[in-house]
Amino acid sequence: MGSDYAIEADDLRRTYRARTGWLKPTRTEVEAVRGVTFEVGRGELFGLLGPNGAGKTTTIKMLNTLLIPTSGTARVGGFDVVKQTKQVRRRIGYVFGGDRGLYDRLSALDNLRYFAELYGVAPREQKRRIAELLDLVGLAGRERERVEGYSRGMRQRLHIARGLLHSPDVLFLDEPSIGVDPVAARELRRTVGDLAATGTTVLLTTHYMAEADELCDRIAVISDGCIQALGTPAELRKHADGFRVVEVEAYGVPDTAVDTLRGLPGVRETAVEVKGALQLLTVHSDAHVDVQGDVLRELAGIRLGRVNSREPTLEDAYVAIVSAA
Amino acid sequence: MSTLRLLLVGTLLHAKQISRSPFEVAIALVVPVVQATLAVYLFRSGGEQHRLLEAAVGAGVMGVWSSVLFGSGGAIQNQRWQGTLEMIMMAPRRPALVILPITIATGITGTYALLATLAWGRLLYGIRLDFAHPVAFVVAAVVCVVGLGMFGLLLAATFVLMRNANALANTLEYPVWLVSGMLVPITVLPAWTVPVAAILPTTWGARALREATSGGPVWPSVALCLGISLICLLVGFLVMGRVERRARAAATLALA
Amino acid sequence: MKTIRLMAVGGTIAYRALFNWTTPGMFVGTLLVGPLFQLLFFAYLGRQLQVADDRFYIVGNAVLTASLACVFGGTMAVANERRYGTLGHVLLSPRSRTLIFWGRVLPYAGNGLLIAVVTLTVGALLLGLRIPLSALPGLLLAMAAGSLACGFFGLTLGALGLRFRDVWVISNVAVALLLLLTGVNVPADGLPGWMVTVGQWLPITHAASAARSFAAGEGFASAAPALGRELLVGAVYAAAAVILLKIFETESRRRASLDTY
Repeated sequence: MGSDYAIEADDLRRTYRARTGWLKPTRTEVEAVRGVTFEVGRGELFGLLGPNGAGKTTTIKMLNTLLIPTSGTARVGGFDVVKQTKQVRRRIGYVFGGDRGLYDRLSALDNLRYFAELYGVAPREQKRRIAELLDLVGLAGRERERVEGYSRGMRQRLHIARGLLHSPDVLFLDEPSIGVDPVAARELRRTVGDLAATGTTVLLTTHYMAEADELCDRIAVISDGCIQALGTPAELRKHADGFRVVEVEAYGVPDTAVDTLRGLPGVRETAVEVKGALQLLTVHSDAHVDVQGDVLRELAGIRLGRVNSREPTLEDAYVAIVSAA
Repeated sequence: MSTLRLLLVGTLLHAKQISRSPFEVAIALVVPVVQATLAVYLFRSGGEQHRLLEAAVGAGVMGVWSSVLFGSGGAIQNQRWQGTLEMIMMAPRRPALVILPITIATGITGTYALLATLAWGRLLYGIRLDFAHPVAFVVAAVVCVVGLGMFGLLLAATFVLMRNANALANTLEYPVWLVSGMLVPITVLPAWTVPVAAILPTTWGARALREATSGGPVWPSVALCLGISLICLLVGFLVMGRVERRARAAATLALA
Repeated sequence: MKTIRLMAVGGTIAYRALFNWTTPGMFVGTLLVGPLFQLLFFAYLGRQLQVADDRFYIVGNAVLTASLACVFGGTMAVANERRYGTLGHVLLSPRSRTLIFWGRVLPYAGNGLLIAVVTLTVGALLLGLRIPLSALPGLLLAMAAGSLACGFFGLTLGALGLRFRDVWVISNVAVALLLLLTGVNVPADGLPGWMVTVGQWLPITHAASAARSFAAGEGFASAAPALGRELLVGAVYAAAAVILLKIFETESRRRASLDTY
């Protein structure tokens, strides 16, 4: 245990080779991760934030021994993830989002018993540990029901209990809140926060900004297989420094108006998001330029809703980082 | 000790998981009974009425083989579909120890076929279950099931690397039935199949059960079945380790 | 013409889409090598038990091997559409549903025919069965009739899949039952009467007996009645499939169970 870091990734790269086509197979190569380097301290809650397909899951799977990196090295708890898999696996837990990954026709108790055995939890401790975890994730009392009857949130909590069976030093959470309702998601965040508070190192991937902002000590924003920015949420917010954001709710924004706005001096970014009947037009601009007047002039004649000029949030910083990549 | 516990708990839970699948159980019960019916009329047409119990046992053993074959290929595919393959392969255990309980469980659930064909023969065709060596029959059945489970590990090792293992499984059902002489020893096969049959644990397992049914030296066949199965287990262990590493390199653990 | 195009093109595209997870190796393995082993198994079993001669087993089983692709194919035509969530789109298409689903059967039946031809050729070569050249057109005809009838039989099973969740149980059992009931492996006089009667209404039974007549060098005249009966059985299943599809479609729309899987 010579290392100060729980996780060290050094220039990790991963290429997928795929064969597509039936009569004329063609080989394609996809570079999912192209040189990722970071360290996570012991007991740190570290977030990997990025859009879908950015390389988050691939990165996690290289760290938790499921994938061998095409190049680069990584260590977990000081052990090499390619050569010392057994030592690494004893110390890590892995939880992914979604409802797969459990034995549906078995009860939660049977699932946990099986994985406790697999992960080498001492027979004498199994019963106590399983009861403890069922309690922690709020499944106590329903552990004898078959998993196929569980809701998505319950399955997710069972996943977490399973990942914690052998009290791992490092927990990998891959999009844990995907498809979970808001209440369950909040509870999930509290559980994760508690774990980190008791000294477990957590590597969390997510594309929910609020989740990352609330939980993580540090965040790496990953996009196109590269880390675009890394720092505490406060540091990342600085990427939006010198910005100002104007948000306009409108009904029927013409494309020409958006194009014109994009060409205005001082405007960095424009985005239109459809929210039901209305559209939310977001304009990022340099802080010293007031574009609100220009925006309203361009939208003259269109029915408008709320108009808002505000300081940038972490989300704006994230958008700025990802779109600069 | 901890390894033995893992194998035991794992086998029981996987057998439970398979037994709760209406599909698996329906196939394990119905298809062998149809095969056994076919065997009975074939034996009758061939003037072998006195060997109907052999036909029932033989069709049951064919069912055990189908269960192991499709189970070992299909179970890994199933683990992949359920997303559990990554979860179990990530355990700090030798990959073979993780997969072996699944393949043995497919052998155990295969005995449903054997029980079904025997019950069917008794009830519908009044076949009397007078085994020449009843105790030896039970021992032979247990060895056959566990042995085929070990053989299944070797198959599974090959299947982990292939995304559509079922296709390979489909092709191996009939030739093993044929060469191992499961329904009836085929003396009219080409000579080159004799050594192939001799190294298949299925040959000796089926033979032990037949000898226990209608008389013969059961124990040498039981010993050979077990011996060959243990060799398969050993080879399976070695192959499985390599296979797991290659699967991690080729990213075939998840259904990406 | 447009109708034929809808059936052929629609059928081919669906077939490739539903099969695209298989590689050519898998295709050859499952659908060409597997059936060949099946033929060898029964041919050797027949030799061992001296139930009937090689021609009986080789020709009969070759025709039967078409059933694998056809029954599973026909089932897939409906079941996979549902599984991939495309069934709703197909049922909503304004084109005639009957033609669309019949069209689905054609590539599977063609595939079954291909398998039967390959299995017969390789099986006959391996086991040394001589077939007169003049018998070939007739044999091809018999196998085509069997494949087509079997394809519609598979479609009927697939339609049942709309109603029952485990359609694959049905098709697996059906394939096993065809082995027993079509009289391909046990001569009809060795089977109880009711099994023979059921067999008369299954695909392959008559095609196999027509194919045997052709292979024995008998002319078209002696095989024609069996051939006709096979086509009749096929037509019955084609109609049954459409009726079932209509019934279950209405029913599942009412119960909103179209895309539950």
